[in-house]
Amino acid sequence: MPDSLPLKPGDRVFRPLRIKHFRLKRVLGVPGLFSAGYGDVGSSIYYALGIVAIVALGATPIALGVAGLIYIFNALSYAEGGAMIPEAGGSASFARHGINDTVGFIAGWALMLSYIATMAISAYTIPPYLSYFWPVLNEASIGTLVAMGIIAFLMVINVLGVRESTGLNILFIGLDIATQVSIVVLGIVLILAVNPGVLAQNMFGQGNWPATPNLIMGIAIAALCFTGVETVSQLAEETRRPAERIPHAYVLMIIAVLVLFAGISIVALSAMTPQVLGDPINGWARDPVAGIAANLPSETLRDIFAPLVAVLAASILLTATNAGLLGISRLTFYLSSHQQLPKALGKIHHQFRTPHVAIILFCLIAIIMLGPGFTNPNFFADLGKLYVFGSLLCFTLAHAAILSLRIKKPKLPRPFKLRWNIRIKEKELPLTVILGLLTNAGIWIVVVVTQPFSRWAGLGWMAGGLVIYIIFRKFRRKPTEEWEIKPEKEK
Amino acid sequence: MEFKKVLVPVVGTEADEEAMRLACRLAKKDKGKIWSVFVVAIKRALPLDAEIESEIKKAEEILDRVESIATEEDYETETDILQAREVGPAIVDEAVERGVDLILMGIAYKQRFGQFSLGNVVPYVLKNSPCPVILYQQ
Repeated sequence: MPDSLPLKPGDRVFRPLRIKHFRLKRVLGVPGLFSAGYGDVGSSIYYALGIVAIVALGATPIALGVAGLIYIFNALSYAEGGAMIPEAGGSASFARHGINDTVGFIAGWALMLSYIATMAISAYTIPPYLSYFWPVLNEASIGTLVAMGIIAFLMVINVLGVRESTGLNILFIGLDIATQVSIVVLGIVLILAVNPGVLAQNMFGQGNWPATPNLIMGIAIAALCFTGVETVSQLAEETRRPAERIPHAYVLMIIAVLVLFAGISIVALSAMTPQVLGDPINGWARDPVAGIAANLPSETLRDIFAPLVAVLAASILLTATNAGLLGISRLTFYLSSHQQLPKALGKIHHQFRTPHVAIILFCLIAIIMLGPGFTNPNFFADLGKLYVFGSLLCFTLAHAAILSLRIKKPKLPRPFKLRWNIRIKEKELPLTVILGLLTNAGIWIVVVVTQPFSRWAGLGWMAGGLVIYIIFRKFRRKPTEEWEIKPEKEK
Repeated sequence: MEFKKVLVPVVGTEADEEAMRLACRLAKKDKGKIWSVFVVAIKRALPLDAEIESEIKKAEEILDRVESIATEEDYETETDILQAREVGPAIVDEAVERGVDLILMGIAYKQRFGQFSLGNVVPYVLKNSPCPVILYQQ
């Protein structure tokens, strides 16, 4: 109705709202995506190396190398999925589109477990690095208390919605990469080149090579370095031209992960024995990169790198803890928006405009998870295995979803389409996705069978989530499209 | 100078209304087009496409008001709601995308720690804008 005409009693004015027409300003480019993803991957080297060394001993570089190969399969699948479905849910989104809502929820819930475990491990490994300045932080009880305090602090600032400085993050990540590259180069030149036999001795010498089950377990735990794959995918909807930039960011991450993980693990085993590297109490399992810095052959270099590693590791791990928290709150909102979790979990605070319920709830769970740290300094390896349980399950489902989409929706636009396809009944199935599915599922089964803590805690978490999901789906208010009466089939 | 395309970012202050009147008068001379945008800043704990009803309702009201000001001035404005992580980059990006000749912003007098402050958005726009910027302060 034109505004110029006077209103009469009974007239109804309909004015379409702009509400469905708001536009999203996507600003992320390859550097932004890479720095977000590398923030996670780069932080994982600060604890993954030690946790892997506990079981894989001298075979740590081999375990990390095999994990790196699987990382390539995962990153490639996520590159196809992220470019095809640029949404915030990552694997939960692929599984929802590719399989169904329930599998989407299972992937999302498993991803939540890995986010919580990442938060707990990252926070737990900050105090050992800072113990360079304050040795008291090396005590298990004080370190655990500080880690809990860190999560509580992040909970408060995220509920309040304090703006994080993107520029500062990028600066820290730049410094972090520079420091890691310097450590690798110095380690190779000053330690490995001087005594090349030491690496072979520490890897293959008597008592250094692990038993085969331990090697397999080491490969499984090395999946800790997979953090970051999901982060980039979660940022897909914020990326300008995601079809091009997401695959580019993944390629960069693959290169960075392979080079740095290989380099740092080789230097670590050149600088110390695997027993020292994998000892959480008197060795360097909780702060392996600090161990490399402390074993550099020159006192001047030690004086430069030891405090630098302490500060950088603490800052990157803090960023990773926060990234885990941001990831889980976004994911909760995503799942609740798609009727997979109760709306109450994704509720937004009226004043701070943040999903306060999700932030508080998952921070409290992460704090509770840190509880055993007061008595058992070795427990962070269990946290690592729990992360592996959650992440491998969601990677397996992500691969399955990508394959399912290739079968069900072969004509869906795929700006980044994987090559090396196997043709079955006119369907193109990418070899890397099949390999990714088999390797991730295989390692997940190994973890479930051999690790009682991961098995019971992980399966318990999944069972709890499914109970919430089933009850919620039974009693939820159905969206309008589900009310439509379906036409009866002709008899 | 010709102002064929003018961008007026609004936040709901009284200065916005005066800025819109000024934009209408400037654009009228060259029969230019005016876009008015409200940027909803989404915190990083939420997906970028999160619909925060209260924020969108507020944006609707402010843009309705701005449209009515343009009508009073016997001119038209196209309005839009943008969702972004940061307000400043969103405004600059919009200006680049639309190829505007002018950004006209109304600013309120604000103090921070006892000192006059422009906040974060205005300095960012001034520093990064691809075109001339006029600030209107009441």
